Amino acid sequence: MTMQKLKRSLPRIVVNIVVIAAIALWLIPTLGLLVTSFRPASEVAYSGWWTVLSSPLKFTQYTIENYHSVLSSGGMLTAFRNSFIISIGGTVIPVFLAALAAFGLSKLNFQGRGFFYALIVMMLVVPSQMTFIPVLRLYNKLSLSGTFGGLWLVHTGYGLPFSIFMLHTFFQSLPDELFEAAHIDGASIWTTFMRLAIPLSVPALASLVIFQFLAVWNDLLVALIYLGGHQSVAPLTMRLSSLVGSHGQDWHLLTAAAFVSMVVPLIVFLSLQKYFVRGLMGGAVKG
Amino acid sequence: MKRSVLVIFSMLLVLALSLGASAQGVVTMMGVWGGQELEAFQEVMDAFTAKTGITVQFEGTRDLPTLLQTRIAAGNPPDVAALPGPGAMKEYVEQGALVDLNGVLDVEMLNEDVNDAWIELGTYKDGFYALMFAADIKSLVWYRPDEFVARGYEVPTTWDEMEALMDQMVANGDTPWAIGLESGAASGWVATDWIEDIMLRTAGPDVYDQWVDHEIPWTDARVQEAFEIFGKIAKNSDYVYGGPITVLSTNFGDSVAELFADPPRAMMHRQASFVTSFILDANPDVVIGEDVAFFGFPMIKPEHGNPMLGAGDMMGQFNDTPEAAEFMNFLASAEAQEIWANRLGKLGTNNKINPAVYPDDLTREMARLLNEADVFRFDGSDSMPAAIGGGAFWEGTLMYVGGDNLLDVLEFIENVAVDSY
Repeated sequence: MTMQKLKRSLPRIVVNIVVIAAIALWLIPTLGLLVTSFRPASEVAYSGWWTVLSSPLKFTQYTIENYHSVLSSGGMLTAFRNSFIISIGGTVIPVFLAALAAFGLSKLNFQGRGFFYALIVMMLVVPSQMTFIPVLRLYNKLSLSGTFGGLWLVHTGYGLPFSIFMLHTFFQSLPDELFEAAHIDGASIWTTFMRLAIPLSVPALASLVIFQFLAVWNDLLVALIYLGGHQSVAPLTMRLSSLVGSHGQDWHLLTAAAFVSMVVPLIVFLSLQKYFVRGLMGGAVKG
Repeated sequence: MKRSVLVIFSMLLVLALSLGASAQGVVTMMGVWGGQELEAFQEVMDAFTAKTGITVQFEGTRDLPTLLQTRIAAGNPPDVAALPGPGAMKEYVEQGALVDLNGVLDVEMLNEDVNDAWIELGTYKDGFYALMFAADIKSLVWYRPDEFVARGYEVPTTWDEMEALMDQMVANGDTPWAIGLESGAASGWVATDWIEDIMLRTAGPDVYDQWVDHEIPWTDARVQEAFEIFGKIAKNSDYVYGGPITVLSTNFGDSVAELFADPPRAMMHRQASFVTSFILDANPDVVIGEDVAFFGFPMIKPEHGNPMLGAGDMMGQFNDTPEAAEFMNFLASAEAQEIWANRLGKLGTNNKINPAVYPDDLTREMARLLNEADVFRFDGSDSMPAAIGGGAFWEGTLMYVGGDNLLDVLEFIENVAVDSY
């Protein structure tokens, strides 16, 4: 290798090293959690997870007991079902409504457009905790508390400001000429939205779905407040948190529980990943 | 296209509304229990359902104080809930949220079967608002009898003997105590238990009550003394394993493990009765009662005797329904408490409980200690307003062990206390 070649590739090597170091920094705690979830509680109490690194292939030091306890505890299937019902409704509804709103706010001309958009963006800074008591009161009057429908509405409300903000920014980047052309060709606003805006924004929608799905799937507090912790409606997060005693007994089960609840978001992420890698805008204008 | 989306949307909404509809003829109950505790309470609820046909819908959460307060404010509290402590009970009474149990429970039966002390704990402003379902005792020092025998140590009964024993241990090259204060957002509660135990023994139960009710300031010399006695141990690397840094950074549930290391890294651990579940988690082979035992936290000033510090599961009723009343009556009965005591080693408050239901001799011994204690006091920090008992007091102990000047720490707590009573 010549000196010149080395000089050219040096910046890339440095960048790679930095990136790898950053990834390692992010992954080490997760790796520690993973290792701990396979260790018996008695060993966790006396030594750190890194001690397995000295002899990683000694399989007697690992156990699947934690996973067994988590998965065999009663009501796990119901909890998975509930989490699915909550997360799917709590993702599809806000993303769909946000797409409609963001489309209207960025591509339709009407008075007060900027004002409404500013109002929605302002809602981003309202802490959701402040709304718990008034909204819960309203829910009691409407007998919405303790229902999945009620929870979907809440997640929709909490998720909409950010979703609209994100999709609005994306729709703004779509060229107006495209929509004018559709208009001249005789497309109605609804057709423009469904046939043009939605297909073009798949990458943005995919990342929004991931954000919203993760937020709803991992949510414990909102579900506790509006749904109550009863087993027949409790999502996975609630079921897992009740594995631990009131003084924190059996906390070692949480290490395994974390990975059990991680599986679904991981599948969602991996299956949507290809959509935002693929750039859909290529050739959209010139055809 | 437009119509079909709307139709699907409205169908989903109807489906969702029908799924979670609440049933009639049930009691809703909120508690903090999980894991084994939840299984044990499930048995209590099943026994109630078998007897009365009323189902209990249990909601469990460790964020109970927050959730309960939100529900009360929003107007849909659970019918029955485990209360965080006497302090919270008083706050709920002030808000008019709790039902007076005088009209609910069989008071004659209570007077006969339950010690006055338990009734008193649930009494506030001429009303009876909280039923003590079970108790834990906290003034316990855990040790390993085999190690004590092998090293020639004797169980102390007075503080002088305790100090002599600690010095003897140090001279032998042993470390007397293992203490861990870390407990997530609740870090510091272990130290508050220590200080309460000491306060009861150095200042006596009357002054203790004044302190809990903030009738004496935090800067009072007697409060200082209690902090200092704790500090003498927790801030001294000779007396506590790892010194103050380890004390601050070790989780309370992990610290007892030092007694079972080989060789033991510490000789004694002060903790409530529930610590046995942590011991068994980390050391499944230990036989409770043989390999590990406890003695009562020794008396410090003879005139104040040997008081017992404890906590318990207090039950309050928030909705005046006949089903909830029946459930409260069931919880007061020996029948319900025997299940709870048998599964978890909790101590029942109903005198009719058959001692044979306690899971082992050690628990029977605890029940005996509780009955024989001259004085019982509820965990002081649980009886104070949340800003102190669940805030400044915890934080203050951490600052003190971390090396802050004691008077500064006490003034800090006092300032918060002035605003919160």
